[in-house]
Amino acid sequence: MEKGFLSLILHAHLPFVRHPEYPEFLEEDWLFEAITETYIPLIDVFDKLIEEGIDFRITMSLTPPLISMLTDEFLQSRYIRYVEKRIELSEKEIKRTKHQPEFLSLARMYHHYFTNARYVFAEKYQRNLVLAFKKFQDMGKLEIITCGATHGFLPLMNNNQNAMRAQIHVAVNHYEKHLGRKPRGIWLPECAYEPGIDLLLKEAGIRFFITETHGVLFATPRPKYGIYAPVYCPSGVAAFGRDAESSKQVWSSKEGYPGDFSYRDFYRDVGYDLDYEYVKPYLPGDSKRTNIGIKYYRITGKTDHKEPYSPERAKEKAAEHAGNFMFNREKQIEHLASIMDRKPIIVAPYDAELFGHWWFEGPQWINFLFRKIAFDQKTISLITPTEYLEKYSINQVSTPSLSSWGYKGYSEYWLNETNDWIYRHLHKAAERMVELSRLYPHTSKDSIQHRALNQAARELLLSQSSDWAFIMKTGTMVEYAVKRTKKHIYRFTKLYTDIKSDTIDPNWLSEIESRDNIFPDIDYHIYQ
Amino acid sequence: MDRGIIKDIFLLMLEVIKALLSILWKTIASFCAVLWDRFFGMTDVSNEAPPVREWGMTGEDTWQSEPEGDQGAETQPVQKEEPRKAEEKKEAVSVYVQSVPELPEGYGDNRIVLMVRDPFWLFTYWEIRKDAFDKVRNALGILAHSAKIVLRVYDVTDIIFNGTNAHKHFDSEVPGSARSWYVNVGEPNRSFCVDIGFLAPNGTFRILARSNTVKMPRISISEVVDEKWAGIEELYEKTFVQTGLGISGESVFERVHRNWQEMPKEGVSPGVSSAESSKAT
Repeated sequence: MEKGFLSLILHAHLPFVRHPEYPEFLEEDWLFEAITETYIPLIDVFDKLIEEGIDFRITMSLTPPLISMLTDEFLQSRYIRYVEKRIELSEKEIKRTKHQPEFLSLARMYHHYFTNARYVFAEKYQRNLVLAFKKFQDMGKLEIITCGATHGFLPLMNNNQNAMRAQIHVAVNHYEKHLGRKPRGIWLPECAYEPGIDLLLKEAGIRFFITETHGVLFATPRPKYGIYAPVYCPSGVAAFGRDAESSKQVWSSKEGYPGDFSYRDFYRDVGYDLDYEYVKPYLPGDSKRTNIGIKYYRITGKTDHKEPYSPERAKEKAAEHAGNFMFNREKQIEHLASIMDRKPIIVAPYDAELFGHWWFEGPQWINFLFRKIAFDQKTISLITPTEYLEKYSINQVSTPSLSSWGYKGYSEYWLNETNDWIYRHLHKAAERMVELSRLYPHTSKDSIQHRALNQAARELLLSQSSDWAFIMKTGTMVEYAVKRTKKHIYRFTKLYTDIKSDTIDPNWLSEIESRDNIFPDIDYHIYQ
Repeated sequence: MDRGIIKDIFLLMLEVIKALLSILWKTIASFCAVLWDRFFGMTDVSNEAPPVREWGMTGEDTWQSEPEGDQGAETQPVQKEEPRKAEEKKEAVSVYVQSVPELPEGYGDNRIVLMVRDPFWLFTYWEIRKDAFDKVRNALGILAHSAKIVLRVYDVTDIIFNGTNAHKHFDSEVPGSARSWYVNVGEPNRSFCVDIGFLAPNGTFRILARSNTVKMPRISISEVVDEKWAGIEELYEKTFVQTGLGISGESVFERVHRNWQEMPKEGVSPGVSSAESSKAT
């Protein structure tokens, strides 16, 4: 029997970016890169493990914006175009590198990589990758949890209960529509919790959420097991605390695995390295140089000098790192089990897109880790939070502390001089949305008023994405985030005034309905 | 010579000078930008890696021109997806157009809102209607001209605040033009409320608006112990050592959300060799 549990959690999220008004749009590539480099490689790993009968457990949040984009026909067809262009380029690359054996083999690798991506996306899963994840969930290997409807940072909208409630309920309904049952858990956007949010989770039927380490560690009363067992909030919803040690091993710039010199270098991309005219057809929108996704070098060292990438060498390193991670968790579990009177759980959450996108070998690392855990040891078992709660239904009652997984651990990354100006507008819009839903409690479903009210709810939700404040703080792509915030607030405000003055412009409404088409089944009454 | 022609020539010359100056200015600006990036930029230029530009990494604005401006302009029909033809239209989208209407300065409200930034700092924003402002100011009479605008911060921990029963309060002067402010209260795990108002030299305080109440988060392990669930000290110590919370200088505060923007920097600049990292436990 195992002595303790490991719960690996991947948070998969991208902001809702969809611009049918342009033939190509740079920011849409965020989704396409994540599909190619993260979601499909993970799906391949899971499929292979299942095929070989190797048991595993993993938890993933698929946020509503991500599910919306993955199931959007327009973006699906754009993805096909994206991947086909890369197949075409990799064919050219095979010809171009025919006299350079160390690059030729890599060009062939990429050709296979993109061809496989196209196959998995278009044929195996009929363009809908959510079906792949649903399949793994239905088989009991993967637990999919939800998130805020648009990844809104809940403690920064806490002056409006209805706004917080809408973020949660819209997400739960959206999850149910796409995954066929209600979610049991939630990844709170940015891991941001404050006392009271659990009441809204309870109301939506959610049984657990994850907090940053100090969310549970600083809970009141003092949590007996620290972060190595969940606590129940007074509402009965369970909170699991993030384990700092295992996070650091993967994330840290000092000790983290992804920086190993054998791994693929993220920066040396043909989008920058090759002749401009040659790569131009493969650059998005404005044809400025950007990453295309074909990268020939390994990190090599701290200098400019880069050696060609060796997939075999990188694979060995991923296996070694998986072994190292498992060894450390075994030691950790053995120690914890010796001082606890129940089996400890180590909760290790990461951004999903770390695996494959930033850390090219990340999916392989997960593959090796799961195989090693299955065959090479007896100390740890993989588990999902739901399974842990089934094993240990009695837990201490304690209220976690306000916390997030952002810089400094609270709200500052989303509330500082770069982005604080947004909140007076977000709060006002939320307040007005509540006002609208109370002013118009009964509208007939086909009326333009009803449609406008629902669209107002969509615009409000889209404006609340924590991604915009986050991007403003990082200082890169700021203009896009500012415009998205202003645009959604503007559209909301126009809807608000038009609805109240009974001057809704049907053409304009149809236009924004088709652009901001997230949550087609939304019901504005959620704000009442 | 005709005066009009001389004037035209003169204006033309001015235009030429203006154009030359603008070219010179652009050159200087781009040179300065290069220098700035070289010494202060986010990108590590010592690494030959190209400037990073993806997943929100670029410093350039890339929002393309959009056929949407003021209200009504959005009535243009949505372009139907035709992937293969789209490439031909590429040239048309490279122009940047400022097209988003500005948000209003205010909403005609009279209010102040308080938000928690971290265990020590509050953020507050406000909007004061002119009539309310004038009314309070006039009520001050002769004191008005020497009165300052202050934020009065009340400690209202565990009480229902009625305006006079706060545990303590302090004032923080704000410029008349300010519309938001960060306040350092320095006290985790306590509740606060803020008034904005006029403070006259004789101590008279006249309120313009009162905020909501917020509670600062904890910054340490709770002192409350549940008898049935007596804590395991060693677990906290262990966690403390791992995260550095409250003990060493390196703490949870150093941790950054590793989002798209953060990871690549880590990926290419490993602090230790793989051999060392494998040994780390």
